[in-house]
Amino acid sequence: MITTEIAVIGAGPAGIAAAVAAAEAGARVLVIDENPRPGGQYYKQPPSSFKANDVASSLSENIQHGRELIAGLNNPKITVCANTLVWNITADGMLDLYAPEGGSRVLAKRVVLASGAYERVVPFDGWTLPGVTTVGAAQLMLKGQGLLVGQKILLCGTGPLLQLAAVQLLDAGAEIAALVELHSRTEFFGGGLKLFGQWGKIGQGMAQRKKLLDAGVPMKYGCVVTRAVGETEITGAVIAKVDGNGRPIAGTEETIAADTICMNYGFVPATELARLAGCEQFFDSHFDAFATKTNDDLETSVSGIFAAGEVRGIGGVEVALLEGKIAGAAAARQLGYAAQSNGHDILKEWQKARAAFDSLSGMFAVKRGVYESIADDVLVCRCDEIRAGEIRGAARAGAQNLNALKAWNRCGMGRCQGRLCGPIAAQIIASETGTSVESVGAFTARIPIKPVPLGVVGASAEPHATGTAMEDHVGYGRVR
Amino acid sequence: MAAQAQRISGLERGQAFSITVNGQTVAAFPGESIATVLAVAGFRAFRATDASDSPRGIFCGMGICFDCLVTVNGLPNQRACMTEARAGCDVRVSETLNVER
Ligand SMILES: Cc1cc2nc3c(=O)[nH]c(=O)nc-3n(C[C@H](O)[C@H](O)[C@H](O)COP(=O)(O)OP(=O)(O)OC[C@H]3O[C@@H](n4cnc5c(N)ncnc54)[C@H](O)[C@@H]3O)c2cc1C
Ligand code: FES
Repeated sequence: MITTEIAVIGAGPAGIAAAVAAAEAGARVLVIDENPRPGGQYYKQPPSSFKANDVASSLSENIQHGRELIAGLNNPKITVCANTLVWNITADGMLDLYAPEGGSRVLAKRVVLASGAYERVVPFDGWTLPGVTTVGAAQLMLKGQGLLVGQKILLCGTGPLLQLAAVQLLDAGAEIAALVELHSRTEFFGGGLKLFGQWGKIGQGMAQRKKLLDAGVPMKYGCVVTRAVGETEITGAVIAKVDGNGRPIAGTEETIAADTICMNYGFVPATELARLAGCEQFFDSHFDAFATKTNDDLETSVSGIFAAGEVRGIGGVEVALLEGKIAGAAAARQLGYAAQSNGHDILKEWQKARAAFDSLSGMFAVKRGVYESIADDVLVCRCDEIRAGEIRGAARAGAQNLNALKAWNRCGMGRCQGRLCGPIAAQIIASETGTSVESVGAFTARIPIKPVPLGVVGASAEPHATGTAMEDHVGYGRVR
Repeated sequence: MAAQAQRISGLERGQAFSITVNGQTVAAFPGESIATVLAVAGFRAFRATDASDSPRGIFCGMGICFDCLVTVNGLPNQRACMTEARAGCDVRVSETLNVER
């Protein structure tokens, strides 16, 4: 076992900002991330051996900005352990780690949880077929691997990621079969008024839309995918118009040819480590999901454990960066370092950024009817292959919350531990029993939070420091 | 049938090496995940589910869904999207699948 002053879990924007703020104050920081390179989702980095000669700016810009941020980790006070999963955490700061080199244990005086978020998905008939992925998967493979997952890609769901990813995929050479957005044109553009004062975001969104329209991409507002077409290979998708509550309208179906379907209905905070440590959660009604409760120093209900970025509520990259800075400085101050105090200015800036992001949420809320329209025979739990009808049946028979459902039919017991099916099952139970999603709760987290080989448990070796793997970086520049 | 997935142009990827997939030699580049190498080689389905033998491949791309599991150097249930391809590694995708190449 080794000890550290501050352990930061997650090297996305929030984790990096936290580590840098704490290290600059003088604290010793261990940054741990399961991915091979720091950056998290927004600043996802390709392998350092990749050199970009001619890559569209929609792709290279974030990679380049991310590099400037990641460079801050090259600080003698900071040790980076990439490829390393934190699979257990206790309230007193003991972490169990797993890397390909083996397991290890860390005792941290302070912990900053910066574990980010997952994508929200809504099942449709055929959504488990190979060739159906999340929008994030297509985007991460493109940014992090230089890979196009398909040649003719249909994007569906709701929210700003659809347009952004569509532009990135288009720029990288894919054909976009259609962009299928749940919200109607009126809802979509009416919502723009709420962004009053955020002209940058509106401008970006309009430019993306224009680019897609100019490329002849069919923009299907007020529609959902009801079915993937294909037996073993995706050949297309059936889409349908929806009513005001998100239910498909019979007779409006249309088949669109595509070899790949990518779905995203927003994000859900990745709170399993927070829940495992006993950090109190709150229901964030803006994003219909549980998130980690903190005070203004971003300390959770467990003293010494802080939370920053999307684990404490969906908020986008600006919020994540500000929160990282606040949490890192606060953790260092608790250890007696003279970190800049989180003065009025940064708190105000943070609250403003949070409020601005929250105001976006209504535009992209997933309506109840969308979940209520999942047919009974469609799989909800991909791991144990449990169907919507089985979840509805369990709810009617008395499984009123997610843990009761787990006991009933194993939903949430599979390898993904309910990360994907939990938010869906919660909506289905709430609809079926006439209660709120909040009262349905979340699955209890259990260890290991992701499968690790037997024998790793209790290992006592030292964590494997990897550095940022950024030393030999050649720019991802020369943008076109 | 040709692979749907492709490496984008405009990138230099360094020195290619090979890995084997179900015994066949497949090219890979440094830093690529096994998921990437499989996808480019035309594999979309990586495994069949225990419950119904249904094909699965890349879904989340970020290590949370456990759909992309393959066997690497004899170690079963490795996430292809989170595992870097290394020279000479031996990858097995489910043989029961009618994988089109
Ligand atoms: C797939 C995906 C794509 C996205 N694309 C965009 C986009 O294009 N534009 C945009 O504005 N926003 C995007 N977002 C939203 C984005 O997550 C935020 O804007 C921002 O990245 C949040 O920063 P963060 O630091 O909170 O979390 P993240 O960037 O998600 O970083 C969290 C990090 O924690 C690590 N981690 C989590 N749990 C563990 C553990 N147990 N052990 C070890 N490491 C762990 C993860 O590997 C990850 O690197 C995307 C989100 C996702 C999930
Ligand atoms: S694609 Fe989800 S874990 Fe690999």
